[in-house]
Order: sequence, then structure tokens, then C-alpha cells
Amino acid sequence: MPIISADLTHAGGRPTAAELEAKLLAGQTLLAETANHVMQVVDVLESYGEVLDAYSINLIYQAEQQFLNPLPAFRYLDGDLSPGKIWRHLIHDRLNFEYAEYCQKSMFWHGTGGLDAYLDSEAFRAGCSAIIRRKTGRDPLLALLHPLFPDFLLELIRSAATTHALGQFWRVMSDLFLDLARAEKDGQVSTVAAVVEFLRQGLVAAAANPITYAVEVAGERFWVLPPQAGLTFLADVAVPYIEAVFLRGMPFLGTVSFNAQAQQVSPDQSTFAYGALFADPLPTMGSGIPPSLLMQDMYRHLPERLHQWYRQTSRGEGDVRVKICLSFQKSMFCVTNAAIAGTFPQPLDHADPAAQAANRAYAASWAARLSHSRTDCLDACDL
Amino acid sequence: MLSTLLLIPFLGAFLLLFWPGQPVPGRMRVVTIVVLALQLAWSLRVLLAFDPGDGGMQLQESFAWVSSIGLDYRLGIDGLSLPLVLINAALTLVSAVCTRDISQRPRIYFALLLLISGAVNGAFLAENLLLFFLFYELELVPLWLLISIWGGTERAYAATKFLIFTAVSGVLILGAFLGLALLTGTVDFSLTPVLSERLAMGSQLLLLGALLIGFGIKIPLVPFHTWLPDAHTQASTPVSVLLAGVLLKLGTYGLLRFCLGLFPEAWALLAPWLAGWAAVSVLYGSLAAIAQRDMKRMVAYSSVGHMGYILLAAAAATPVSLLGAVFQMVSHGLISALLFLLVGIVYRKTGTRDLEVLRGLLNPERGLPFTGTLMILGVMASAGLPGMAGFISEFLVFRGSLEAFPLATLLCMVGSGLTAVYFLLLVNRAFFGRMAITPPSEDPVADARLDIRLAAVAPRETIPAMALAVGVVVIGLIPTWLGRISEAASTTMARLPGLVANLQSGGLG
Repeated sequence: MPIISADLTHAGGRPTAAELEAKLLAGQTLLAETANHVMQVVDVLESYGEVLDAYSINLIYQAEQQFLNPLPAFRYLDGDLSPGKIWRHLIHDRLNFEYAEYCQKSMFWHGTGGLDAYLDSEAFRAGCSAIIRRKTGRDPLLALLHPLFPDFLLELIRSAATTHALGQFWRVMSDLFLDLARAEKDGQVSTVAAVVEFLRQGLVAAAANPITYAVEVAGERFWVLPPQAGLTFLADVAVPYIEAVFLRGMPFLGTVSFNAQAQQVSPDQSTFAYGALFADPLPTMGSGIPPSLLMQDMYRHLPERLHQWYRQTSRGEGDVRVKICLSFQKSMFCVTNAAIAGTFPQPLDHADPAAQAANRAYAASWAARLSHSRTDCLDACDL
Repeated sequence: MLSTLLLIPFLGAFLLLFWPGQPVPGRMRVVTIVVLALQLAWSLRVLLAFDPGDGGMQLQESFAWVSSIGLDYRLGIDGLSLPLVLINAALTLVSAVCTRDISQRPRIYFALLLLISGAVNGAFLAENLLLFFLFYELELVPLWLLISIWGGTERAYAATKFLIFTAVSGVLILGAFLGLALLTGTVDFSLTPVLSERLAMGSQLLLLGALLIGFGIKIPLVPFHTWLPDAHTQASTPVSVLLAGVLLKLGTYGLLRFCLGLFPEAWALLAPWLAGWAAVSVLYGSLAAIAQRDMKRMVAYSSVGHMGYILLAAAAATPVSLLGAVFQMVSHGLISALLFLLVGIVYRKTGTRDLEVLRGLLNPERGLPFTGTLMILGVMASAGLPGMAGFISEFLVFRGSLEAFPLATLLCMVGSGLTAVYFLLLVNRAFFGRMAITPPSEDPVADARLDIRLAAVAPRETIPAMALAVGVVVIGLIPTWLGRISEAASTTMARLPGLVANLQSGGLG
């Protein structure tokens, strides 16, 4: 039997912006409604929840305990310096906390929303001055660095603030994803629409959670992100996170890194399209690029049901990370779907034409961006 | 002892042909593998019995067969033929192991494989010119059948072209052998190195010319090479392995044994022209390889280039260059067989060998990462990177030939550089970048989203290629194992032109 190359390839669908907009306005899910999709999304989010739990703990540890540490060599160890932990770290029997840092850098670089605005405010600068004064009084290296590079420590504190904020965001998301897995097991969630609704409710419930961050320097407590700044979960962290990590990303996330070499990366940061929703699940040029780091971590926590299904499809264990990435992308469309549903300017069933127009404009702006993303994963298909 | 090397494959072939009933193809394959493993074991036994210090023929066996026409059954082995006998045993085994999915006539297929292996052994061991010719021709028909029955879509054209070219080669070789007997007035076709010294130079050049073209077709050398890329492209992978690894060596073996061995004086006269011919062949083969878009054709043209090194080494005829020629025969046998095996795996999994289509096959999850890794090793060895067999052979050939023919050697070195060019093109196109196995469409975004589902390469499918890769590295790291076998023979052979000069001046008289 001759092998026909074309039979070995599979092209997913490519819905237009108008189709996506119509679905968003009609309250339909972007992801096709199948039982297999529910299994993939719930299970992959469960493993993601486990990973995010560890990431979140580590990011908060870094922001609080490794604050302004110029050489944070042990920052991934969460303060546990036992020989066993160090050994497991050295033989890489651990999560890739580097991925969490990539996301943090991405958020920091593509800063949008209230958090970014506050980091550039006078109030933040004043708070930092007090912290730096206190810190440089006890740390000769920083005391030397600060006069030479006056913006350096300030920037490190901004970075630490983003790290802590991301840690807090992921704390909520981790719990939400693990709750989702429990709800599905209990039979409360059995459709893709129910998954999106569950996520939307979770996001809305946490929307007003305050985002604050304080550090202790030489026995004295300082606010970096004080309650008075009024930063909240949904508007100031969750939406900027989606913008930075799901949509914009960085050019080296996945195969599109070749575009950077070819000078094809847009000079306009706001039009970047290298985020998780745009990533190519097929890793190119080996391991080490961030999406595959996350897939390696999720593989460690894969629920048995999903793992069993992966073993039966295509190459089984051989290409399991690609399959995790495909499922992960499906689940991220659900999260995005939930975030959009939770942030419409007006209720979707509002009768007022002005409200409808506002909703339409909002849905259209999202649909325009999503129409270029990897929407080919939205269709039902075997992996 | 040597006759057993003929008996094992020939009896194996008869065993398969007369096996009762309709055995399943898998059983035929197993029987063939067992027979070939026996042959390899016996070849190793010959290796143990071989005395590396002796540059002449050893373990000789003979009995009169048809003495009236000078056809005697005389076998012998020396440092030139022993490595080739070993390579023949190893590569026929590899091609039997890598034969899968033989749907039609497995009985004949495997019998023909064994027949070829036996005939090639016979040609390498024959100490009688007519006996050599018989075996040389005997291998031709099975190979023609292997291409024309189990080949690709254009197999009839390729097989016929192969048959015509090789038949002409046979006619020329037979003509030269008969001419030698006629002109020297003997009916003794035994392999006597300085038989030709009784002939006038004009006759010697005529006979040598016929042999050169005859073996030049088989090797093949430019411009007699055109049958090879077609034959390779249409042949199945195991047949390509045999063709590149073993059958081309009949040509280079003939070049050293009969052209240089029988006509050392005329050879010395023609040597500068032969070196020039070698350089042309190397450069043409390499440049043609660069222009190919079929992976298999590229590897086939690389063979044309790399066989040119052997002509260069033979032209220089120094002990070092001749040792290099033996190394080149062995290393080219292993490396080209390895490359054809890997191209075969790529073709079997993706359905294409087109370098304009294939991309990113090193993809660790959904591509052919291990095949790609071995391919990189193979092309590095072929390009002559140190630590692998190709380096040793090319270094010896160039080192041995540089003083005799500096310009031709330098041009051949350029060809060696070009090997790196075309094989890097191959690796870069087919193995790096975003994976693709279908031609690019009008829409690059859609292409970049194609999900590709190649079947994984099972570990057992890579075992033959792994074995060859290990051989390539071992010879590269411990070349003395092979060098020890062949050094005495190549030194003896390099003395021939001087011996003739002495004979003519009455020095040894």
C-alpha cells in the first residue's frame, strides 16, 4: 500500500471573525460541544490546576522571601534546602518553574490595566523609596548598586509586584480548575457550555478580590501594592494576564521564533500574536521552548482517564506532550470564552439597542483577534 | 574454506526455491536471514584464518574445470578482497533484515538476494579471469529482476537501462580478457599480475581502455553513470542498499585487481589522465547531487562522487592511497547503505522523498527524530568528519595521492567540501524547521497549522541502520582493525609498476 502524504495531514476548521462574533453574542461556546471535549478540557485543567498550585506557591515565595535578592540561586526550592530537594532539583525531577517566570515576564513586558498603571504611579515610587532606603542600609551590594543605577531596584520591585500578583491570580485559578474537576466528577458539569459557565462564575466571584502585596524588610513591613491602590482580581490582573499570556506572548513562544529571525515580528507590541492561543502544538527545534515546558509539567499530573485516552491515540506516549498541548489549547479557549462572557459591558439579553451595540462592539473586537488564533483546535477531532 | 562462502548462499537460494508448499513471506525472510547470518559467521571465520602479514593470495582452492578454454575453478583471498567479502555478508544480511512487506513472490525475491550475495562473493574470490567474469555476469540478472519486479513506478525503464549498461560493461570486460589471452597467445586465464609485460604498449592501452570503460560503467564514473540514479530511484530500499554497498564495489575491485593488477605499465602511463577523470567524476557527481530534489537521487549522485576517490587513489597507486581505496570501498559501502536505509524509512513513513516538500522531520514528538539523528551521523560521516569512517578513507586517499597528482587531489578535496554542501542542504531542508510532508499551498498560515500524523518508527526498524552507524563510528575510531588486514596487500599492489620496470630492464631476470 503506497503511503499518500496528504492522508497523513489534518487541517482543522478556520471560523471567520463574523462566525466567532455570532457565537459570542449568542452565548454559545467557541469549543465544539462533545463529550470527548469535556473530558479533555476538564482533565487537562485538573493537571493544569495542580501545576498552577505549585507555580503560585513558588511565585509568592519568590516575591516575599527572595525580595531584592540579587543572586536568587535557590528561588525554585521554596525555602526547602534539604539535600533530597536539591538533588531532585539538580536531576530535574521537578516542575519547570521557568515557565511561570516566562509568564511573569510576559505580563511585565506587555503590562496593561490597573496594575501596570499603578507601577508607574508616584504613590508606588514613594513606597519603593522607603523600601530601598531600608534595604540599602543593610545590604552593601545594593547600597553600591542603587546610586549607580537608580532605576534598577525600582524595576526589580515592579517585577516582584508582578510576580506576586501572578501568584495570587494563579492561586484563584488553580482552586477554580481543581473545583471544576470535582464538579465534573460529581456530575454537576457535563457539557462544554457548563464548563464555560463554571469558569465564568468562578472568575466573576473572584472579580472584586483585592490584589495586595507587602514585604518585610529588616523586620519592618512595607506595602508594595497597598489596599488603597484599589487593585482587583479581574480587571487588574486576570484581563492583563489573558492579554499578555493568551494573546500577545513573546516571539520565542513556539515556532514563530523563526519570524523574529526573519524580521517579521511587529514593532507594535499591541499587535503581537504569540500567546498560548496562537502557539503551535508541534514543537519545533527540540525541547526547551516554553509551551513544551508547561506540557512537561502537566504530564507529571495527568489524570489517569485522559492519560489512558492519550495512550490509545496516535503515537501513544510518543507524542503525548503534543496531545496535552492540543487539549490545553482547547481548554484555554474555554477560559477565554468564560472571561469574555464575564466581561461583556451589558448583559447579553439586554433589550436596549445601545447596550446591544456596546456588546456587539465588544464581541467584534475579541472575534477579530481570535480569528487569527489557533481556532483549528475548536472542532471535534481525534488527536 | 572459501568455497563454503559460495555454497552457503547458493544452497540457501536453492533451499528457498524448492521449499515445499506455500510458506508465508515471514518464514522465507527468517530462512534468508539465518542463511546470511551463517554466511557472515563463515566470513568472520575466514577473517580469523587470514594472515594479515601476507600480501599475496591466501587460503587458495583450485581444481581444473574446463581447462581447454582456460576456465579453472580457482579461489583465493587477500587484503583487498577480504574486507569486501565481509561487507558483502554484512550488507546482504542488512538488506534481508530491512525487507518488509514483500507482498509478491517472496520466495523468488529472497532466493535472488542470496544468489546475488553468492555471485558477489565468487567475483571477489575468483583467481581466474573467466571465473570472475562468470560471477560478475551472474549477479546481473537477479539484480535486474529485483529492480524490474519489486521497483517503483518507472521500474521497467530503470531496470532495462541498468541491464543495457551493465551488459555492455560485461562485454567490454570479457573482450579485454579474451584479447589478453589472444595477444599473449595463452589460454591461461589465471590471475597473473604481470602477464601483460609481453605486450606492446598499444595493445596494453587498448585492453586497459576496454577494462576501464567496462568497470567505469559499473563503478560508475562520469559519463557512464546515468544508469545509477535511475536504478536507485526505482529500486526498493534493500536493493538500493545492496547496489550501493556491494555491487558498485565490483567495479572498483575490478579497477584495482584487473586494471592496475594486469596492466601496471599501461596504468602508470594513463595515471595522470585517470586522476583527471577522477576529479571530473567527483566534481560532477557532487554538483549534480546539489541540484537534486529527490533524497534518494541525491544519495545516488553522492555515490558517483565518492567512487571517484577510488579512481584517484588507484591512479596514484601509492601504498597509502591504495589502502585509502580499500577504506573508501568499505566506508562508502557502510555509509551509503546507511543513508539509503534512512531515506527508505523516511519514504515509508511520509510517502515522499521530495526535498521541496519535506520539512522538520527531526520533530521530537511527531517526526522521525531517531531516523534524523542517524541521518545527521550518516551525512557527517559521508562528508568526512573526523571520528567516522569517511574521514579515515578520504584522508588516506588524499594523503596518498597529493604528491603524485596535486591538482586532481585538490579538486577532489573540493568535491569532499561539496559533499558537506549537499548533505547539509538535505538535512536542513528535510529535518529542520516546522514539520511538513505535503507541498506548500497558497496559504502559508494554513500550512503552518497542518497537524501531521506519521506512524512512529518502531525500534526494530532502526536496528539495521543502527548496526551500520556503529560500524561507521568503530572504523572511524579504530581504523587499524581494517588497516591491518589490507596494508600488506595494498603495499604489494603498489609495488607492481616498479616490478614491471625492473622486469623490463632485466633487473629481476
